[in-house]
Formats: sequence, C-alpha cells, structure tokens
Amino acid sequence: MYTWLSLKSSADLAQLESCISQEYGPKRAAEKLAGGISDAVKGVLIERNYVDKDYRSTYYHFYAKKGQHYLPNCVRLHFFDQTVAFDESALKLTCPEGPEHLNDHYYGYMVLRPTGIATIGRTVLSPDVRSGASRYIITANHKVHVLGYRLMIEGFPSMDQHVDISVCAHVACWSILRHYSERYNSYREFLTHDITLMAHQFDPGGLIPSKGLEVSHAERVFQVAGTYPVHVTRDTKKASDPSFYRQLSAYVESGFPLFAAMHKHGHAVAVVGYERRTPVNTQVPGMRYAWDEVQTLAFVDDNNLPYLPVPVTGGAPYSAEDIDAFIVALPEKVFYPADAVDRLAPTLFKLGGVLDLPPGNQTIIRYFITTGSALRHFVRERESEFDPKLVATIMTLPFAQFVWIVEFATELQWAVGQIAARAVIDATASLREVMPLWLMHSRTHALVFNRLTVSLDLQSGIRGLKLADMGHTGFTRMDQNLRPTKTK
Amino acid sequence: MDEEKKQGDVFEAIEGLTQVDPNALADFQRAMNEEVIPEIIKVVEERRMLAAESRHWPLKC
Repeated sequence: MYTWLSLKSSADLAQLESCISQEYGPKRAAEKLAGGISDAVKGVLIERNYVDKDYRSTYYHFYAKKGQHYLPNCVRLHFFDQTVAFDESALKLTCPEGPEHLNDHYYGYMVLRPTGIATIGRTVLSPDVRSGASRYIITANHKVHVLGYRLMIEGFPSMDQHVDISVCAHVACWSILRHYSERYNSYREFLTHDITLMAHQFDPGGLIPSKGLEVSHAERVFQVAGTYPVHVTRDTKKASDPSFYRQLSAYVESGFPLFAAMHKHGHAVAVVGYERRTPVNTQVPGMRYAWDEVQTLAFVDDNNLPYLPVPVTGGAPYSAEDIDAFIVALPEKVFYPADAVDRLAPTLFKLGGVLDLPPGNQTIIRYFITTGSALRHFVRERESEFDPKLVATIMTLPFAQFVWIVEFATELQWAVGQIAARAVIDATASLREVMPLWLMHSRTHALVFNRLTVSLDLQSGIRGLKLADMGHTGFTRMDQNLRPTKTK
Repeated sequence: MDEEKKQGDVFEAIEGLTQVDPNALADFQRAMNEEVIPEIIKVVEERRMLAAESRHWPLKC
C-alpha cells in the first residue's frame, strides 16, 4: 500500500517506474518531476489505492462505460525533504521535531491516474521546490490526509488534461475554481466532470468535450460556478495594446488567477503569478507601469508542472505577450473596470499640486483590487508609517467591499518596495463619475472624498488633510495578495 | 432625515479636514469631463466588441 523512495537527487525519481504499474504512467511522471522539481525533495511516499475525487468523477461518468477496463483507484505521490523518514513496519512518518512538525517538511502531492495516457492528475506542489518558479504565486492552503496525518500544502492546483474527455481549457477552469473553493468559503468545489458539464447548456456526452472548448464556454463555466467573469480581449488591430497587459498584471497582483487564451496556439492556461525584473536605475524619463517591470508570468499549463515561468517576450513555445484574451472570475460588486482605472490613474497627477506627487514622468504606477478591510488591516499593521489622522481617516471611511488601489512610486522607491502616494478608488463607482475616489494621499497631504455628496457637489464632497512628516522616505508597497516563493 | 444625513457625513467624523481650493481641482475636473470619461466609455465599448469576437476562438491543445 505504501512505499518510500529515498532520493539523492531528482534523477533518482526514475525509480518510480519500477515501483508503480504502467497504467499510471510512472515513467512520464518521473521524467516530468525530475526536470521540474528541485533537489530539496529527498523522499517520496507512494500511496496506492488512493481514491481521488476528481478522477472518480470521470471514472463514474466515462471510463467505467468503456470496453477497456480502467481501475477505479489512483496512486498518490507525496514529496518530503531530507529530514523525513518512513517506518514501513509501523506505517509511520518520522521527522526529528516530531510528527506535529511534518508539515514543515512537506512539499505537496501528485495524483497518478490509471488511464495509460495523460496520467498526471490533481497536483498541489509547493512553489518552493519548483525549479525556476516565479517570485510571487497565488496560493491557497490545501488539506492533505495521509497515514492518519493531517498535512497542509500551500500551492495552486494543476493536472494534465485527460485528452479524451477534457482539454486544456477545462483544466484551466478546474484549476482556478479549485483554488477558489479552497481559498474562499463562498465557492463550492467542482470536480473534473462537473467542469465538462458546466461548459455547455446541455450534457454533450461521450467524447464531445475533447473536441475542445471556445472561450465563451470557459466564461460560462465561471458564471455557472457563481463568479462574475470579466472577459478582456487584446486589440490586435493596434500595433500594441499595453493597457491589455497592464490590466492582466493588475488582476494577477490582486490575487485573481486568470484564464488566459492564446489564439494562435489554440491553447488556454491559468496565469497564477509573476516575477519582477531586477530594479534598475534607468534615469530615463517616462511614466511606467507595474507591467513594464514584469519579467515572467507563472503559468499553470496542463502540459507542464505548475508555475511554469514564461518570459514576457521571446519565450518558446510561447511568451506572455502571446495571450490574446483573458477571463477573470471576479466576485460581485466590482463594477469599475480595469480599463477605467488604467485611464484614471495617470490623470490623478493633475491633483499633484494639492498632494505633492512625484513628477508623472518619473513614476511607476501599480494598480490592483483589494478589499476595504484588507486595506485597513495593512494600515493597522504599519501604523507607525502613517500620521494618526490618516489612520483614523482610513478606519472611518465607509469603503464598499472592494476598492481599487493605485500606488505611485519613484524608481528609487520601487527598488526598495516603497511608494510615494496611494489612491483608493471605489470599485463600485460608475464609469461616468468625475471623482470615483475614497481617498488619495502622499506623505504630506491627503484628499478625502465623501461618496455621499461628491458626485452632486464636487466642492462640498472633498476635503484636504495636512499630514505630519513620519520620518520615512516612502510608504510600504502593498504587496500582500501573492505568496513570495522561498526557493529550496 | 437631517440626523441621518449628519451621521452619514463622514467629514463630521474625521478631525483636521480643511476646505480645498477649487482652482486646485479644476484641471482634474476638466480632464475627467472632457477627455478621460469619454475615453473610458469608448474603450469599455471597444473591449466589449473585442470580447464578443474572441468568444468563438477554439481552445483544444
């Protein structure tokens, strides 16, 4: 039932082939793992007869109906570091600090399906052991039960497409929705077979899903799942559409994984993170955006292990700039679109005379969505950075649930994770509002907006607030939605 | 009603607020009304049209 495999290096994963039956595709899994995980993984626990809910959903509705016999159970591989050992006679995992610390040495799991081809099923792997994983990854905590231990792994779910009943687009939808069900208790769990059904108005039956999806089907999956999908497409008639990529980057920075379509490749992936380029002091004037500082995006692609780092340009077989359209599955109550924020953000420099903003052509702009409560929590944890009057203002303003944050940083501030000023925009604002803001502040001044009156009478709906010098060179950048990778 | 309005007036609850010189807001207000809002309306409609076109893209790799 259980076998322990000790690894000197990831090349030793080839031993999986001799431990696991061929219908689970151990050779291909071993090759993928050896090429994609770091040497920090020193032990693999092979768990046989594992009942995987996602595979079972396809087994009950598809594989069990076939003439070829398919097994109902899967094999699951668990990955540990060098401190963990397996006592085969007692069926116990041991580590020096005791079993309650097993979780500190656990790097996740991979399910192998007994389908002969495309056998890699539900996988949640720590970004820390994924070779080349991007610096920031959207993650959730996934519970794992094995040998009576309750473990937790922080990662983003992935799997190979089944080929015969699901394709890349199903897998991208499944990954995102499984992340949602683990991260937010307001979303239910959807199994692989559920996703194939949700894509269509009626049960297409049999092999129809394998003929592929259209982008609209993915949009439908997210609608049926109870989210409010926003579908953004690049304007390919223009020579370039930087606003499209700025929006893409903004949603990822907000912690929303994206369903991304690459038209010329007929392929869909989930975008789950990014890595910024090393900050450089260019001294070249010109307004820049957070997207301009991105070096790679992290993809969950059903042809690869998760967190595939994909360069913005010049990658093979594709680059981040090959993304032509994306769907972001938003919660309700985000009415003010990223397109509007993208246009509004540079216009806010026209308030620079009141707020003492840095010059627009020396500024890096970053915008993203968060909740009013997350903003308050962020400020509360860094109270010493803020004039108490500003803290009181942020605690008092009756934010709607979601706000857009726009941060302004000079090149020097950007390099050290600081900002010069921050605007808080009402995510429920209407497109035609002149002042869709709650607050905007720098280190010296703030503008406070009364959302009850500002749209009726601009003058009575805005007040100024002079802020005390708190003795720092910039506020902390609000980098909090994604998990920083700790490479091992 | 007046009492409700007063309680809803967030400015009453924040200390240290001052009036803002209307001239300091004029340029922003003009830009929003004459350039930014019309551009936002236009670009949101353009994105809607582009999304409609891309809905039929096949994805099967």
